[in-house]
Amino acid sequence: MRGSHSIRESAGDRTFNLIILIFLVLFACLMAVPMIAELAVSFSSKIASQTGTIGLVPVGFTLASWDFMVRNSGLWSSIGISVASTALVVVISLAINAMLAYPLSKKRFAPARFLVLVVVFTMIFKAPTIPYFLALRGYGLYNNFWAMVIPQVISAYNLLVMRSFFQSFPAEIEEAAEIDGCGKFRMFFQIVLPSSKAVIATVGLFYGVGAWNQYATPLMMIQDTALFPLQLKIHQLVNAASGDIAAAVKVSTANYTNDTLGAAAVIFSMIPVLLIYPFVQKYFAKGAMLGSVKG
Amino acid sequence: MKKRTCRILGILCALVMVTVLSGNALSTAHAEESYPDIEYWFTNEGFLPAEVGGAYYTLTKDTIGVGVYMPYVDWNGGQTYREQLALRVAANDTPDIFVYNGGIENSLILDGAVLDLTDYLPELMPHVWEAIPAAVWESVRANDPTGQGRIWMIPDVTNFTRHGAYIRTDWLEKVGKSMPTTQEELVDVLRAFKDNDPNGNGVQDEIPTGGRMEARWMDYLFAMYGVAMYEGYPEWDVYDGEITYSAVTPNMKAALGFVASLYKEGLLDPETLLNSAGDWSGKFDSNRVGVYYHIPWVSYQRLQGIYDYTNGEVKAQIANLPQLSAEGYEGYITVKPTGSSGKMVSADVAKDEQLLKAACRVLDCQYNLEYRDLEYGVEGMHYEVVDGKKVKLPEDKATQELLILQTPGCWVENVEVITSRLEAIRTEENGWQIDQAEAVLNGNQADGKIIAGDGMPSSVYDGYEDIQNRTLYVEYVSKIISGEYELDKFDEFVDRWYKNGGQAVTDRVRAWYEGKK
Repeated sequence: MRGSHSIRESAGDRTFNLIILIFLVLFACLMAVPMIAELAVSFSSKIASQTGTIGLVPVGFTLASWDFMVRNSGLWSSIGISVASTALVVVISLAINAMLAYPLSKKRFAPARFLVLVVVFTMIFKAPTIPYFLALRGYGLYNNFWAMVIPQVISAYNLLVMRSFFQSFPAEIEEAAEIDGCGKFRMFFQIVLPSSKAVIATVGLFYGVGAWNQYATPLMMIQDTALFPLQLKIHQLVNAASGDIAAAVKVSTANYTNDTLGAAAVIFSMIPVLLIYPFVQKYFAKGAMLGSVKG
Repeated sequence: MKKRTCRILGILCALVMVTVLSGNALSTAHAEESYPDIEYWFTNEGFLPAEVGGAYYTLTKDTIGVGVYMPYVDWNGGQTYREQLALRVAANDTPDIFVYNGGIENSLILDGAVLDLTDYLPELMPHVWEAIPAAVWESVRANDPTGQGRIWMIPDVTNFTRHGAYIRTDWLEKVGKSMPTTQEELVDVLRAFKDNDPNGNGVQDEIPTGGRMEARWMDYLFAMYGVAMYEGYPEWDVYDGEITYSAVTPNMKAALGFVASLYKEGLLDPETLLNSAGDWSGKFDSNRVGVYYHIPWVSYQRLQGIYDYTNGEVKAQIANLPQLSAEGYEGYITVKPTGSSGKMVSADVAKDEQLLKAACRVLDCQYNLEYRDLEYGVEGMHYEVVDGKKVKLPEDKATQELLILQTPGCWVENVEVITSRLEAIRTEENGWQIDQAEAVLNGNQADGKIIAGDGMPSSVYDGYEDIQNRTLYVEYVSKIISGEYELDKFDEFVDRWYKNGGQAVTDRVRAWYEGKK
């Protein structure tokens, strides 16, 4: 072990660090530009949006787009639906995944190979839309909140990530516990799971992001606006300004376009992710490599 | 550990209960009435759904005796709507009445998903039967994919000249020109618009005229050469004695030469081939466009746009640009009374006599002028009463339910129907816009001509989607207009078009036309 004294930086190191710092700051600014631009669009007037005169500062400042978003009664309940479905997906899927992945990781478990094959099969072959719709509808999931939960609870990819992680779990620890008289369930719940927080957090995050962003299944299964998740609701709001039927006779005082509404919606749907991301970022970074190296 | 597990389980149970309970509360039920409710799928671009028990549902129930409802179905240019409809049809749960579009009608008929309306129309839907011209019914019968001449659909009918170009007359005055009556005079006026700063802002930012991407929405320039064109889509009309796709005629070549010359001279918006709908109307609204081709009676929205943009300084003046003719050609505005969309009824409706009666009643009421006030919607939500007169409230999709029975095309559209709709939104403030909108609506009726291809079924394109989507056409036309291709490349386009399915489609269309005659 080396002492804790720091190595003095040479002038070259300092210059190098400075260059890296400048590069990263510039890069961060570059990343921020589209967000600032969207923010500017969301606060701009209809005519400014149509004439394409908006840069990084709102033109014809108005709260019309945001007012429309917030006034729309279903918006808040859709956030509730999205939060509830995401939470349920994460909890249920983690429970099922962990309990399935663990036995699948054991060579002693004879049907493991077959079961993994079955799982991988679903990764490669996907049901076409109409049979998939009819199956889910047959289960009573049409216009049902659970349509946003049940189809999401097992993803083959995540299951395999977890299985690889459990495969790399040191067998010695399990053997030691077994010698001490530890049963199978106790082993799983008290020995393996507590040491697997990293994979649980990562896979949980994958499920969470997937459930939060899900669009195709709710679009297919949910027509009751009271059950709309946030992504569907936002799509509805953005559509509201597109007005394809140019020929409709109407009094229009709206000071927004689908671009300004879309911008407001993008910013709006980013907020929850922005709030959570700093806390789980470290797992994201780890996640990609998890379970990839044994030993 | 146990405690924690219990807590998690507890939270789960609570969540389950909350969702199950809220789900139950939303389940719908309706009281026993003489007519059952009708689920009616229509275009919804972001309005609140008209659900059972809601304000609009109640209005229809009180007015016509049938509760009409529709869940929220994303329209998305018709694509998502068609996908959702296909799912419901596959699940044997077809909505009672629905709008068809995008060429889905034949497969629905052949799959047995829709009701044969032939025998019900005269008896249960007399207003529909009467309102739609006999010629349209004939072409619907001719298009029956089962070949039995039955009526499976109620097409939307547009019985007037719907499109046309209008010109800024206040600009004409500023540049000292009079209304052009020939092609040369028009070009002269466009030049003056470009050079003489008619909007008076000291900057040469005027766009004399233009259109949208895919060479759309500048039909009047093509129409000068007798090119049949509907909102930028080339159409089928008789050329040299035979029905032909207008895009492959010598007329089109001549028209392209003219449009390309306008582009080269800067008289056509340089961004014409890039403009979206919003981009292009935004340019007009920002007081920069001289001649605009669109649906003339919607012009009141454009006039309001200019008024807003200039903070109330400019009350723009417009008038119809008469449909001009290039030398040696006869110009006309394409009119297609038989729409490519319309309404169908689910075959399942016939299983229940009351349901069948209810569906027929809803459709009949849509064509019965006695119920025209349904267009106004719900008091307080869609309109208010001012001095005893109903006045439409501004459109607000955050609070207004979809007006399922108030639709463009619900009734047979004509000048009188459109005028009454314009009158419904007239206020003291917008009177000057409505007056002009009505004037341009009436002003170009004589310029329209019903084309030979009216009522042609989209099935003629079956197996030739590229021809239907105008893939080759858009590529060549865009490049010729922008000057990337010489005009003579047009001959290559015609050749490739015929070889890549155009000939087969043309044969089908000619066979159909013979049958129609």
